[in-house]
Amino acid sequence: MGVRMGGSDGSTVQPAEAAGGARKRWRALRQALSRYGDRFFVPSAVLPTFVLMACVFGVPLLFSLYLSFTIGGPDGALFSGRFAGLANYDDLLHNAVFKSAIFITLGYTAASVAAQMLFGLAIALLLNVDLPGMRIFRTALIIPMMITPIVGALCWKLLLDPSHGVINQWLGTQTVWLGTPSTALIAVWVVGVWQNTTYVTLILLAGLRSLPSEPLEAASIDGANRLQSFWYVILPMLRPYLLVALLLRTIFEFRAFDNIYAMTGGGPANSTMVLSMYTYLMSFVQFDFNMGAAAAWIMLLISLILCTFFIVVVRRRETL
Amino acid sequence: MAVVVGSPRMRKLETALIYVALTVLVMVFLFPVLWVLGLSLKTRLQVFASPPLYLWWPTIENYVDVLTRSDFPRAFINTLIVSTSAVLLSLCVGAPAAYAFARFPFKGRSFLFFALLVMRMLPPIAVLVPMYVIFSKLGLATTRLSVVLAYTTFSLPLVVWIMRGYFEDLPVELEESAWIDGATRFTAFTHIILPMARPGFVAASILCLQLAWNDFMFAAVLTNNDTQTLPVMMASFNAGDSGMDWGGLTASGMLVTLPVVIFSFFAQGHLVAGLSSGAVKG
Repeated sequence: MGVRMGGSDGSTVQPAEAAGGARKRWRALRQALSRYGDRFFVPSAVLPTFVLMACVFGVPLLFSLYLSFTIGGPDGALFSGRFAGLANYDDLLHNAVFKSAIFITLGYTAASVAAQMLFGLAIALLLNVDLPGMRIFRTALIIPMMITPIVGALCWKLLLDPSHGVINQWLGTQTVWLGTPSTALIAVWVVGVWQNTTYVTLILLAGLRSLPSEPLEAASIDGANRLQSFWYVILPMLRPYLLVALLLRTIFEFRAFDNIYAMTGGGPANSTMVLSMYTYLMSFVQFDFNMGAAAAWIMLLISLILCTFFIVVVRRRETL
Repeated sequence: MAVVVGSPRMRKLETALIYVALTVLVMVFLFPVLWVLGLSLKTRLQVFASPPLYLWWPTIENYVDVLTRSDFPRAFINTLIVSTSAVLLSLCVGAPAAYAFARFPFKGRSFLFFALLVMRMLPPIAVLVPMYVIFSKLGLATTRLSVVLAYTTFSLPLVVWIMRGYFEDLPVELEESAWIDGATRFTAFTHIILPMARPGFVAASILCLQLAWNDFMFAAVLTNNDTQTLPVMMASFNAGDSGMDWGGLTASGMLVTLPVVIFSFFAQGHLVAGLSSGAVKG
């Protein structure tokens, strides 16, 4: 059977030639297709990610912006709320619990980050010494960060139990640690610090490992003692790492939730009511999604400011 | 790495001090977990003994109890399904994007990239509130699918960030020679780049798996009794304070934690890049 393939004016072609022609054609077609495909490689590689993120992140956020400007609604159809302008925000900013939640969140964040940075740096310096067995210590210290946060917080809750907790047994007291406003906030802070100090340690340890050794050697030749070379050489060189750790911890402590939910649930007397907890209770306990959305958007705006700082810092370092 | 210096005697003293300090630290850091591990191996009477028991014949009755109750195995399977699906989805969708970010300059690249970073950093509760409302209207609210979708909000940005670092470290010459030999961008990616980026896949999946496994907030809102994950089940032990089941709580807490702890030992080397969202390479 003669295959009519690209031959000139209808003449029959030999099978071998035909196959060659077909192959050539096929290759040309594939090349054309791949050029076409190559041109669209980047868009088709990036698009799925952004479509998915728009669906799970963009759309919900826009919808929550809508919710925050309306009153009532989600019982019926999605868009059945009444437009209320800034009423929800106004209510929130005049609400004593919400206002105190802002201050508690900021205070909790500052205290947690400060302690984590301090301990994290100290532990990183200890682990950076070249001695046998350091790997074992590092591995052991990572555990609090790795375990499920809710489980870690529940462990502490058992230790702090008023009647059967080991801490009261040791102290010989019956203190209701998590039921007393002054101690409850300290307790959740301790747990937050316990869980995330190693986070700072790991970032700083990576920083310490990457520092050039020449400046330190030069300092010790010039007669600098340990403290001096730490203060004048190591610390300045470590600055970018310290900044990254500081900003990341601030961003993540600002949204702290698990340890507080598991230990106090925001109580007693709202003494551990942070913004995440407030938003959660407002939305999923009181089922006021409009107020919940407004509270969430206030959190969002504060986090955006923190993130902008982070990005400016990271970009200036040109690690990206 | 710093080295201990000074006269031999000072050196010995300093080394000893460092070891003592680290040992004390490890004891403080691990005490809560180890104490609870101890509690999980005690009988009900022993748990409530005062003063606390330090030496006892360990019992596994709490573990047997937890594992034979229907809610633990079910929650375990739910957690497994939900977290692995979220990771797989994020890897399939995110790896090509990470590659494009690493290799090809395109318009809006840096903006899109930072948009992803910001999404990873915004408080999750801000997406959770509207997500719950939308999902319940769509009839998805208590399904595993809703949790998987919720988890992609943090695992997808993380995958893109981590994988991008790994793709950037691969030499460009490899793909270039493949392109010259006529390979399309796509085949070069699937046949040459992907096999070489295997360590990146391992790192990204371990870190995402850990986050998904440990998540409480999304799962607490988006699941019911049938679809609940382990952290949610753990928190429900906590609900009735008066009759808190210490044996069940401690034993299941240890069982929930064990896989992540084992897993993270393998991921130690990659931890830093994951924690710092790629701002610091590990």
